[in-house]
Amino acid sequence: GVLPREPMHSSITVRLPTLEELDAYALEQWECFLLQLISSSQVERQTNFSSSMMTIFQRGLLSQRDKEALRLTVHGFQFLLMDTNAQLWYIIREYILNSEDRGVDTADLISFLLELSFHVSGEAYNINTLNEIQRIVIKDLADLGLLKLQQGRKESWFIPTKLVTNLSVTLSDSSSRKQGFVVVETNFRTYAYSSSKLHCEILRLFSRVEYQLPNLIVGAITKESLYNAFENGITADQIISFLQQNAHPRVAEKLPSVPENVTDQIRLWEADLNRVEMVSSNFYDEFPSRDVFESACDYARENGGHLWEDSKRMRLVVKAEIHMQMREYLRRQK
Amino acid sequence: MVNATKGLLISCDIPMAQFIINMNASLPASQRFIIHVLDNTHLFVQPNVEQMIRSAISEFRDQNSYEKPA
Repeated sequence: GVLPREPMHSSITVRLPTLEELDAYALEQWECFLLQLISSSQVERQTNFSSSMMTIFQRGLLSQRDKEALRLTVHGFQFLLMDTNAQLWYIIREYILNSEDRGVDTADLISFLLELSFHVSGEAYNINTLNEIQRIVIKDLADLGLLKLQQGRKESWFIPTKLVTNLSVTLSDSSSRKQGFVVVETNFRTYAYSSSKLHCEILRLFSRVEYQLPNLIVGAITKESLYNAFENGITADQIISFLQQNAHPRVAEKLPSVPENVTDQIRLWEADLNRVEMVSSNFYDEFPSRDVFESACDYARENGGHLWEDSKRMRLVVKAEIHMQMREYLRRQK
Repeated sequence: MVNATKGLLISCDIPMAQFIINMNASLPASQRFIIHVLDNTHLFVQPNVEQMIRSAISEFRDQNSYEKPA
């Protein structure tokens, strides 16, 4: 099919941002949005989203207990460690689901977003090709970094960024992968080549940030910093896949991109927190005969409640959930 | 007639089992919670002691960690 709008003709003299400038703009907008989302005190300026919109985005990711400040929930922590495309889709989904309440037809919004994803990133399109609702929507999208709005002398334009054209790209497409920035060394030190406050916040989730230089964040992964992360509901796998997916190009080529001793240790520390398993159950003994004992064991196994047995002394432990059934069954055996 | 007892089945590694048995032995008789020691990796205990055992394990784990003073 043909797009309902053509990109701006090159004869019109207005300076368009280069692709690099556009990418930087998109990244900045998106990070500013994310920082504001997690109520970070690091955010320098607020986006134009109303506080009610922000509350809707924050639902499920942050929670508030009485008079305390907003805190990240388990989902919130996991959200921060997801890759950008997944995060973007989560936010867009919330935005779409909420559209009815704001008087925007959901189907129209979805088709507009899909339409936008097929535009060419870096090309400018005239705003006069949009209807009224769409003009309101693009202001929100500019806040997320999906588009850049540009004012010409007589007309206004919007320029789609890589973020919106990636909406229709599958998650496995490696060309949409942003460049990694983290180097993890075998001595558990982390070197993150980034000046982004968001990256710093994310690293603080599971590592001890030691120095913040203009282009480098130095830290270390310690038992204490990981226990902190585990207490907040982050799993070892999430931390490891974050480190692997964001590995600096220098180390990304190596296999493994994150040293094995570090990934092993992260998993070991997680396992150390779960050394004991406790299950509500019932203990059966004094079986009248071996036959009754063995059929009870089989019955327990068939109903998924068999936990432990000692065949020599005829003792059986069964999950509490099926106790009533076991009792009935044993009564029938007499 | 088969006898049924309600409680909690604890599955863990051998050192942890010993830790819990030791903890049990150090309590006064009225507070002891182990009903049966099933084998060297399983214990059957009174219900409602889960939280107490977990905090004792947590304390034990903290005693084993050294954090460099800042």
